[in-house]
Amino acid sequence: MHTTSPAPGAVVAEDVSKVFFSGTDPVWALEDFSLTLEPGSFTCIVGPSGCGKSTFLRILGGLEERTVGEVSLPAGEHRIPAAFVFQEHGVFPWMTVRDNVAFGLRMTGTAAAERRRVAEDWLERVRLTDFADSYPHQLSGGMRQRVAIARAFATGSPVLLMDEPLGALDAQTRMLMQEELIALWEAERKTVLMVTHDIDEAIILSDRVIVMSGRPGTLREDITVPFDRPRSFEIERDPEYAALRARIWNLLREDARTAEETA
Amino acid sequence: MSTETRTEDRERRTLVAAREQRARDRRLATRDLVLAIATPILLLVLWELCARVEIIDPRFFPPPTRILGAGWEMLLSGELWQHTAPTLMRLAVGGGLGALCGIFVGLLMGASRALNAALGPLFSALYPLPKIAIFPILLMIFGPTELPKIIAVFITTFFILQINTVSGVWAIDRKLLEAGSAYGATGLARFRFVVLPGAMPFVFSGLKTATGTAVVVVTAVEFTGATTTGLGYLIWNSWQLFIPEKLYVGLVVIGLIGALVTTILSRSEKLLLPWRRER
Repeated sequence: MHTTSPAPGAVVAEDVSKVFFSGTDPVWALEDFSLTLEPGSFTCIVGPSGCGKSTFLRILGGLEERTVGEVSLPAGEHRIPAAFVFQEHGVFPWMTVRDNVAFGLRMTGTAAAERRRVAEDWLERVRLTDFADSYPHQLSGGMRQRVAIARAFATGSPVLLMDEPLGALDAQTRMLMQEELIALWEAERKTVLMVTHDIDEAIILSDRVIVMSGRPGTLREDITVPFDRPRSFEIERDPEYAALRARIWNLLREDARTAEETA
Repeated sequence: MSTETRTEDRERRTLVAAREQRARDRRLATRDLVLAIATPILLLVLWELCARVEIIDPRFFPPPTRILGAGWEMLLSGELWQHTAPTLMRLAVGGGLGALCGIFVGLLMGASRALNAALGPLFSALYPLPKIAIFPILLMIFGPTELPKIIAVFITTFFILQINTVSGVWAIDRKLLEAGSAYGATGLARFRFVVLPGAMPFVFSGLKTATGTAVVVVTAVEFTGATTTGLGYLIWNSWQLFIPEKLYVGLVVIGLIGALVTTILSRSEKLLLPWRRER
């Protein structure tokens, strides 16, 4: 755990708890969860379903209220403190791909010409220039998620929060998107926190993997991923990769079974 | 035969088969169109013949050509316009304003929990009241002027649009509302870029329903004798004077108005909601 004071620009959550009521019984979704994200780091949270990892992400993003605890994002720097990427159906069906990508900029009052320039740039980087005037329903699932990711990066916000952004894609599209995401992030170095249920995805993408316990969600283990950047799927051949993968799976296995049986 | 020519030959045969399939699809589409147009024409011809040889009583069912002739005469004499214009005005002013207010109030109620709590149950209770039953009250308050007729149509479209718009706002995917707030859409921007476009499909279905109902209400109001103009009055008066041709002319024109407004709405829906196309 980080006991030293965080670097400027860090994302800090301290002793965050979330309790909601099911009938008269209080249910603890999160219990005293603390996390500090270094600026420019990529962190993944893995955990059994229902462990509150998405809840934590939504609390950071301001989409849900915490019961107690403190959250601080690098404030004042940007009008959108954290840009969110949803699992699916998060892009506006009534806007063209270009308008979707430029949406955050439009909301922050960026001038039209600048908005267009940034949007075109991001469309090119996610290879959607030819689809700029299409509507989301005309795109494949992978392309729609590229729109969602471009929309988040295009805001220029220093923090990106991703809630299983590749979770609804088929296995092959997903691997391609992971490669693209690595490349985009390595060029931009935003502070990213991503929730996933895919251990391989967590290792390949992140500097750090946070393993959470089952409900109530608490921090079980904080693992540093040792592989150098720039990264590719080559690291899967490294024996250290297999060891890391096994270690994370062992941590998750018990809780995953409990979650499965009580679901 | 060389492998190359065999491949070419196979390719040619496949293309021929594909063209045949496409030609068959087109033939079927043409047939559907012909059937759709021919059926009503056939029925009209049948009606004409039956009325001419008096299989059906031509006093009650004048042959279509006689109705058309009567309509032409009324058009030339200005009588038709004299009745069509007031009906159109009542529909446009009452129905149009009612729809606009309904959409506006519906959006506010969809966005504000407090407003919906205050007005929702009240509007739900008022909505099923037959608007015709309120008409005498309106007459009593406003006297035999245009106002009560316009208000009756206004109330009709207002409630339908208000209810549809609220449903439309509630039907917006929660993820999209969250995406809106996550990207800084608040206040008016939230309405303009998220809530309004999200509710539009329901608004349009409400507009189409309201058109049909508004035409019924305006006709019924004109039946009541509170007016001497309008297509409803033309129909009612023609019955009392027993001029069945004019009665049918009124009926046809009212039907055309309903069909025309519905068509305009469908076209504007396609134009304004391009993201709903190709579904």
